[in-house]
Amino acid sequence: MAGSNEVNANECRMVVPLNTWVLISNFKLAYNMLRRPDGTFDRHLAEFLDRKVPANAAPVNGVVSFDILIDRTNNLLARIYRPAPPNPSPATTPLADLHRPPSPDPFPVIIFFHGGSFAHSSPNTAIYDSLCRRFVSLSGAVVISVDYRRSPEYRYPCAYDDGWAALKWASTEPWLHGGKDAKLRVFLCGDSSGGNIAHHVAVRAAESGIEVSGNILLNPMFGGNHRTESEKRLDGKYFVTIQDRDWYWKAYLPEGADRDHPACNPFGPNGVNLEELPFTKSLVIVAGLDLVQDWQLAYADGLKTAGKDVKLVYREQATIGFYLLPNTDHFYEVMEEIKNFVTSNL
Amino acid sequence: MKREHQETGAGGGGGYHVATAGDMTGAKGKMTAGPSMGTEDDDCGVDELLAALGYKVRSSEMADVAQKLEQLEVAMASTAAAASDDASVLPQIASDTVHYDPSDLATWLDSMLSELNAPPPPLPPPPPVAASVHHHHHRFDVSTASAVSEPPAITTVAPLRPSDAYDFKPVPAPAIASGGRVVYGLDPQSEMIVSPRDQKRKRTCSPSSSSSRGAEAGRARGSRTEGASSAKPAAAVPVVVVDTQETGIRLVHALMACAEAVQQENLKAADALVKHISVLAASQDGPMRKVAGYFAAAIARRIYRRRPLSQVDRALDSPALDDLLHGHFYESCPYLKFAHFTANQAILEAFSSCRRVHVIDFGMRQGLQWPALLQALALRPEGPPSLRLTGIGPPQSDHSDALQQVGWKLAMLAKSIGVDFRYRGFVASSLADLESRMLLERDGNEGDRDDEGEEEAVAVNSVMELHRLLARTGALEKVLRMVLAVRPRIVTVVEEEANHNGGTFLDRFTEALHYYSSMFDSLEGSGGQAAEAGEEEQQQHRAMAEAYLGRQICNVVACEGAERTERHETLGQWRGRMARAGFEPAHLGSNAFKQASMLLALYAGGDGFRVEETDGCLTLGWHTRPLIATSAWRVSAAATR
Repeated sequence: MAGSNEVNANECRMVVPLNTWVLISNFKLAYNMLRRPDGTFDRHLAEFLDRKVPANAAPVNGVVSFDILIDRTNNLLARIYRPAPPNPSPATTPLADLHRPPSPDPFPVIIFFHGGSFAHSSPNTAIYDSLCRRFVSLSGAVVISVDYRRSPEYRYPCAYDDGWAALKWASTEPWLHGGKDAKLRVFLCGDSSGGNIAHHVAVRAAESGIEVSGNILLNPMFGGNHRTESEKRLDGKYFVTIQDRDWYWKAYLPEGADRDHPACNPFGPNGVNLEELPFTKSLVIVAGLDLVQDWQLAYADGLKTAGKDVKLVYREQATIGFYLLPNTDHFYEVMEEIKNFVTSNL
Repeated sequence: MKREHQETGAGGGGGYHVATAGDMTGAKGKMTAGPSMGTEDDDCGVDELLAALGYKVRSSEMADVAQKLEQLEVAMASTAAAASDDASVLPQIASDTVHYDPSDLATWLDSMLSELNAPPPPLPPPPPVAASVHHHHHRFDVSTASAVSEPPAITTVAPLRPSDAYDFKPVPAPAIASGGRVVYGLDPQSEMIVSPRDQKRKRTCSPSSSSSRGAEAGRARGSRTEGASSAKPAAAVPVVVVDTQETGIRLVHALMACAEAVQQENLKAADALVKHISVLAASQDGPMRKVAGYFAAAIARRIYRRRPLSQVDRALDSPALDDLLHGHFYESCPYLKFAHFTANQAILEAFSSCRRVHVIDFGMRQGLQWPALLQALALRPEGPPSLRLTGIGPPQSDHSDALQQVGWKLAMLAKSIGVDFRYRGFVASSLADLESRMLLERDGNEGDRDDEGEEEAVAVNSVMELHRLLARTGALEKVLRMVLAVRPRIVTVVEEEANHNGGTFLDRFTEALHYYSSMFDSLEGSGGQAAEAGEEEQQQHRAMAEAYLGRQICNVVACEGAERTERHETLGQWRGRMARAGFEPAHLGSNAFKQASMLLALYAGGDGFRVEETDGCLTLGWHTRPLIATSAWRVSAAATR
């Protein structure tokens, strides 16, 4: 355990707005209640506590959403967000219009993997619904938020399999192929565990010949056996502890695996060499008060070493979850970075 | 090291406790026009940014809530430390706490703090397994019959269908079948949706207890319109696309076009489209074909304005047939089981430690809800109360006394499990025909049951009955006044979660199309592992269930005025109606949620069913679409004299 709670609270409160602090602290405490020492997870309580929103085919701030069953056999759902069709009335978008391209010009398709350390949240969790809507507004994208199977009920590689299934699905949907060349301009995006999933799905894409226009990793979740300096220094200080990170890895990785498993540590001793693969370019966003930043920075380095294009955005005073509330410069500036990355890689 | 100095904008949740001298540069910090940076106002509303994410925290309470979070963390840490070294993991006991309304952070935190700071009370034993009760049904002792008030005829009646399998014991762990998957769908009247049509801003409030006002406000952010008012949200239209086939989409399109033609009274076009729909539907498969068929038939009926109440119609409208189809609907999918289960949970809780209880059921039908309640009452740690059940049902066309029959069966069950039970049936064409004194009035044989004049605790239960009253002006209000007059401890309401009663015909049609598409799709996926029926019987149940729903579709689409009784409304709408009538919500908690989820895993089979909590109510839906909602109500303090 790191430091006294009082000291931590004061430090932490000074770097985020109060309502952000309340939001993230609430998550932290609620999540503490859900993880059991034996590695099981109180899924029912988790779903009860989770704040969710429905999809909405009626435009809100110019965005509509609807849920879709990508794969009936294993109930793989996704929520799709898209710009509202230009026709202002009727208020409800007829179903057929939902499946038309948002524009005759090239448009991005962002496949989004929500965070939650592989165990928490869903596409219809309010914080992620909000974020996906934001992405649409930023870039005119069609966003596909994937309801991937979560741990500990479903371990590696289920989340990756589901992400891959979503990418393959997108590659077969005609309305997602935009522009005169009818091309799928797909970006893989995720925060926390979602960022990790985006990476691994991108590897599969590179191995399989599906072209990905770019990866966007927001505070991606990586780790390793070694305790890095940032982990030791920031343990327990800004909402996150080494112990909870360990718990989530243990719940996701195969039984008996350690954190140098390539899922957790892609550039570690068991990692896959990306040099020969046409792995896409990446935008990696790191919060300076996130205790796993050393792993995230190492990830960016790993990409560079393998000759892959990577832009690193380091927000020194940002904590985890800074992108959940539109109330800081971190939020707006990072959104701008994402927008630029997407539009310049169309 | 530059310290970024942030502040929330528009009506946001307050600045910092500690004002830090920050780097004030950055043109982006331009203060936008917006809320007045005026005086603090204790009366201001919720923090809009958090509200958008599902948390209701008043801006004036933000600091308070923050403090509670800190206290809770300390309490949790010391509780955990007592049990283990790992402060990030809480021992089981804290998670056995029953949680209510997690959106209301302040209240939730208070309840958590009192749970952790007080020594935990001994947990009530979980309701034990009801032994297979159906074995007990074979004796009926007339002389000691605590049965109906009429002189009993001696009959042997077949045991009632299983609710014995439907016990209240939480199933041990492995039932988390849908574990890692999503739980979706909820209240279409979510407060978070802001319609661009509703741009009027709430009175904004300045951030509270903020010592960082003034100069630091230069970095105000987030005062853009997305932080905008959470007032008056328009209803969401939750669409779940299960069929992305080209033909499926064209079929839906054709149906909508047809409805639009009907609305514009272009009957010729509508007629042509109905025919086109039939052709398209024939090439479809599965649920969509059936749904399209029912909707097309309903539109045709509307177009040709078939005279209502023909001979055939009358026969088809018999309550007996309706009950039959209803029974199959009960067997084929989990919606009614969920309704009964969640309502019974609320009733049980409301009746705890009461010795005399009275349940008034607004729609008795086959009495499928009550065996489970009887069993649960029988197994109460404090022993069963004496239970009075009043069942209301429509007049039967064939003069049979279905209402009494049900009462008999339940009396037998009650006898066999040792619950003192009395039953009374009331025949009424409409609930609005009833008077409270009728319901409260007792019959003769009271004598030895007088527990020193202990008052009777009353529960009023309505499963998919209230919406019918909306077909006649004033009927609902009358009934709700009557409910108030019986002074219930709890009122349980289950309704279809849809708005099939508002807007234009086209709106209603669209809503219904989405709703019944999900319904029919879920019927395909239904048929749990624990279903007793074989494959063929399941198919029969499903076919009848589809007919049951088909009649609803016909009513929603083809009928108007007093005939249109399937006037479903959403949870949000019912909340408004109940509040106006003098009721306040009684929240269903995490224990009910958990048990409903576990039960679902057993009985629903298909992985697509989802239980959701929304503002203290529970909904059951298919994938992300909630289809049925249970809410519980108390007489509000204001309404009580």
